[in-house]
Amino acid sequence: MSKRVIALVLVVMLMGMMIAGCSTTSTEKTKVGMVTDSGTIDDKSFNQSSWEGIKRYEEEKKTIETSYQQPDNEAETDYLNAISDLVDNGYNIIVTPGFKFETAIFKAQDQHPDTTFILIDGAPNDGDYSKAEGPTYKTGDNVVNVFFNEHEAGFLVGVAAALSSETGKLGFVGGMEIPPVQKFGWGYVAGIKYANDNFGTTAEVVDYIYEGSFNNVAGGQQIASGMYDKGIDIIFHAAGGVGVGVFSEAIERATNGQNVFVIGVDADQYEAGKLSADGDKSVTLTSAMKSVDVAAYNFIDAKLAGTFPGGETIVLSLADNGVGLPAENPNLSADTIAKVEEAKQAVLNGSFTVPSTQEELDAYVK
Amino acid sequence: MHKIKTFLSVESNQNKIIPFLSVFLGFLIGAIVMIVSGFNPLEAYARLFEGAGLFGNVRRFGETLVLATSLSLTGLAVAFGMRTGLFNIGASGQLLMGGFCAVFIGITLDLPKIIHLPLAVSAAMLAGALWGMIPGLLKARFNVHEVVSSIMMNWIAVWSVYYFVPEFIKGKYDTESATIRNSASLRVDWLTDLFKGSSINLGIFIAIIAAIVVWWILEKTTFGFELKAVGLNKDAAKYAGIHVNRNIVLSMMISGALAGLAGATFYLGFTNNVKIGELPSLGFDGIAVALLGVNTPLGVVLSSLLFGVMNAGKGFMQAATRVPNELVQIIMAVIIFFAAATQLIRLIIKRILRVKNVPIQVTEPVIEEINGGEK
Repeated sequence: MSKRVIALVLVVMLMGMMIAGCSTTSTEKTKVGMVTDSGTIDDKSFNQSSWEGIKRYEEEKKTIETSYQQPDNEAETDYLNAISDLVDNGYNIIVTPGFKFETAIFKAQDQHPDTTFILIDGAPNDGDYSKAEGPTYKTGDNVVNVFFNEHEAGFLVGVAAALSSETGKLGFVGGMEIPPVQKFGWGYVAGIKYANDNFGTTAEVVDYIYEGSFNNVAGGQQIASGMYDKGIDIIFHAAGGVGVGVFSEAIERATNGQNVFVIGVDADQYEAGKLSADGDKSVTLTSAMKSVDVAAYNFIDAKLAGTFPGGETIVLSLADNGVGLPAENPNLSADTIAKVEEAKQAVLNGSFTVPSTQEELDAYVK
Repeated sequence: MHKIKTFLSVESNQNKIIPFLSVFLGFLIGAIVMIVSGFNPLEAYARLFEGAGLFGNVRRFGETLVLATSLSLTGLAVAFGMRTGLFNIGASGQLLMGGFCAVFIGITLDLPKIIHLPLAVSAAMLAGALWGMIPGLLKARFNVHEVVSSIMMNWIAVWSVYYFVPEFIKGKYDTESATIRNSASLRVDWLTDLFKGSSINLGIFIAIIAAIVVWWILEKTTFGFELKAVGLNKDAAKYAGIHVNRNIVLSMMISGALAGLAGATFYLGFTNNVKIGELPSLGFDGIAVALLGVNTPLGVVLSSLLFGVMNAGKGFMQAATRVPNELVQIIMAVIIFFAAATQLIRLIIKRILRVKNVPIQVTEPVIEEINGGEK
């Protein structure tokens, strides 16, 4: 009998807790949602920066509430379903980081005309490359496209890498061969050339490889291992999750006393390069930052203030603080920092224009 | 109460209710997890089902059916293998190869829909069958275990596609193929309109027909009887004059063909292109679907619908209630656990209802006697 009594008590407690759970109050806040692309929300890179920008807005202004969706797959339908899950629950502003959302936003902007979309690193199009004139592009009044001058950030880390390298051999690991990654790479090569011309270094890019994905960690480690074996001592990765493998390899080698470094991408990746969680040594030389968080933050703010630049394509540059180096670079010498600053001023005052296409780069390097 | 006891004391009846009981226990444990972590389970489940379109949202219900479609086909593939004594763990690879061939035809050929679509679907079926045939042949000829060889075939499929896609049907980026032509797509306007813009497609009919055909083969044909006989006892079947080796190969081919069809519904109906470097998890989920559906066609269809509901609704649930959608994974895992642990559930049934296990249908007096004996 006693067992049944206990069971009854448990059931009553359960019911009580269910009812208690119902009574939640909420004030009117704008709901801001985000959908992740191939990576996870804690990818230490693109998704995470966007999410941090949104969370910072929530904490500082307390006028929004936030939630994110991580689709199971990367098909356009998965993205559209994730977006409608948010929209159907009253989310008015949706941040989508990554070019993979281009075709999904192309459809979603018409399906949900009352929802605001902040598309980072992409422009909505129908993805139909079979047509002679290429895909159809259309940016609705409820969408803003945000791009970055990645080549300017790549340029600065290129200068820093040339000045810091001991072997004079440098490497580049890209993820997929898409415009933002290419631009990082072109800027990097230009920065090294700039340092050779102006600061008397003799560095060169020995290896320049696209891994082909943003999530093959083992592949990244393998490539990095090959590069470090060749005597390359600094690798710039613009490869999302592939870069995690590059960091693993560098950390392993640095722990064994080898003098190798990684240049991070998108966010300040100093933490990602730490040899141990509590130590203060890191293999991260510096990072080519792209202020995705600032973009998310600013455009949410613009929407709530009624100044949302709907239908526009915005490019954030070095001058806008949209790209650049971290404020703190413990692994760069004071001399290097000064020279990088000099190069930065040259870009800012217009005396030097960083190549942003393959053709411009070829012309400059020649 | 007495009738229930009588019903439950028969083992075959117990087998029928175990899947339902597993689902119930899965949701119950999910609710307990939610209460412990401070969420309201009733609210969460309501949103989960709302997100899956069970409360009348036609578009969302369409998405649920889409997710169930490919799963029911991989579930059928695995179940068919199981019934004939083969563990086809290579459904993912067969699905991928089938899907790749379908997409290849969908991109490279330019034909009217009435020819193009059936051609692409048949190609998927054929490719899946071929991919399944190889482990079947290896088993029949050299007694290589199909689990080992079909896992190998999975990776051969992944890396073949990795090479073939950029080489022959490259899309905008190296990592994915171009998009299939409309004439090869399983999506049709009338279905899309009927379900208010959902991605539902003709694949659902493929899945229904496949379930009926599998049922018919297994239950109504001599061929199916032979296959099952091989599954139940290979040596006895051989002694009875059944070509065991031939049946192993045919069984793997049919299983592979079903997985290939799943590939057609997934790539021609849902994604519209192939991405490289990934093995779709659908084939492995098919194992769970088959397990929960006790390897019967109807059971597989029902359990794939459950999977569809859970996967379609979890995002909506998370957006509405902040319950992390990983909770759905927990529920599914618990359901599969109980579905697999049939002996455990039998024990629970026996303890709770105090019934004894009776392997065959028995008459009333005997039951009376058993109950009487217990008092």
